[in-house]
Amino acid sequence: MPVRPVLRLPEPVLKRVAEPVKEIDEEALALAQDLLDTMRASPACVGLAAPQIGVGLRAFSVNVTGHKKAESCHGEFVLFNPEVLLAHGPLVAREGCMSVPDLTGDVARAGRLVVRGLTPEGAERVLQVDAFEARAVQHEIDHLDGLLFLDRVTSADAVFKRRVYR
Amino acid sequence: MAHFALTAVGKDRPGIVAAVTGVLVEHQCNLEDTSMSILRGHFAMMLVVAGPDVLNPAALEDAVVQSTGAYDLVVAVRRIDDDVPDSPEGDAWTVAVYGADRPGIVHQVTALLADAGVNVTDLTTRVIGDAARPVYAMVLEVTLPPGVAPDEVAARLDAEAASLGVECSLHPSEADIL
Repeated sequence: MPVRPVLRLPEPVLKRVAEPVKEIDEEALALAQDLLDTMRASPACVGLAAPQIGVGLRAFSVNVTGHKKAESCHGEFVLFNPEVLLAHGPLVAREGCMSVPDLTGDVARAGRLVVRGLTPEGAERVLQVDAFEARAVQHEIDHLDGLLFLDRVTSADAVFKRRVYR
Repeated sequence: MAHFALTAVGKDRPGIVAAVTGVLVEHQCNLEDTSMSILRGHFAMMLVVAGPDVLNPAALEDAVVQSTGAYDLVVAVRRIDDDVPDSPEGDAWTVAVYGADRPGIVHQVTALLADAGVNVTDLTTRVIGDAARPVYAMVLEVTLPPGVAPDEVAARLDAEAASLGVECSLHPSEADIL
């Protein structure tokens, strides 16, 4: 399955609200595989949303394994049609995004989250995530709503130049 | 295309940005990086713009002064290098310093950082609190080059802060790429 190019601003798909995945067919399974393949191929990438690889569907992958700020860790997973059921405890931290080169920004995200979605196997999965995994999940779900971290920065002071694009 | 640095400062009121950038549009200048903020009631603009090679910086400065006369701005325009210098290598850290206001805080802290080979990439200072007991707050974004130990820099900052009678902390500000 192919590693897809990661799209960057001002690619319009990044600013559109993505459509729900209607059924888990071959196309949806291929999308799940492409998300994983592209995420694995990108160094330091902990999450990827379908719009970032040009697909306007509600799907994302996350893997925070080994990250020093991670507390909960569900390994590598893909969710379709994710819904946030509970969110609390906003925490501010600095984020960057593969789709927004050159900039980083301070963004407040819930520190604890309960999220529900469908796995590629068609099972409903409810995940309780916190700390860095919660941040990653919220960042990816934002992509499905056409939102980038720039839409969430805490103030004009909170946007910084990224020195090195990895 | 040539590049120019423009600074303009004046008492804050609505319309300053529109007035200055209007002149830039008339001179076919494109805004590249800018930073603008209010400093003690004065609106301070710093802009790097790209403009035509034939554009004379002194003429642009005159045009800005003429067109924004009502705002009484102090304006300066200079030609700058077209090449963007490489950003320094290393990890991003944030230094926060705060305490009773006294002369020399910025100088002492930044002299120490320079001596340690640490590059300042962003610096903001504010005087906060009430007039009777003003508190000076400074936040610096810095780059620690490879080989410079954060613990050592933190220890030197602590010692300096103690001698200045202020509080100081150093914490990592590397972004997570999601």
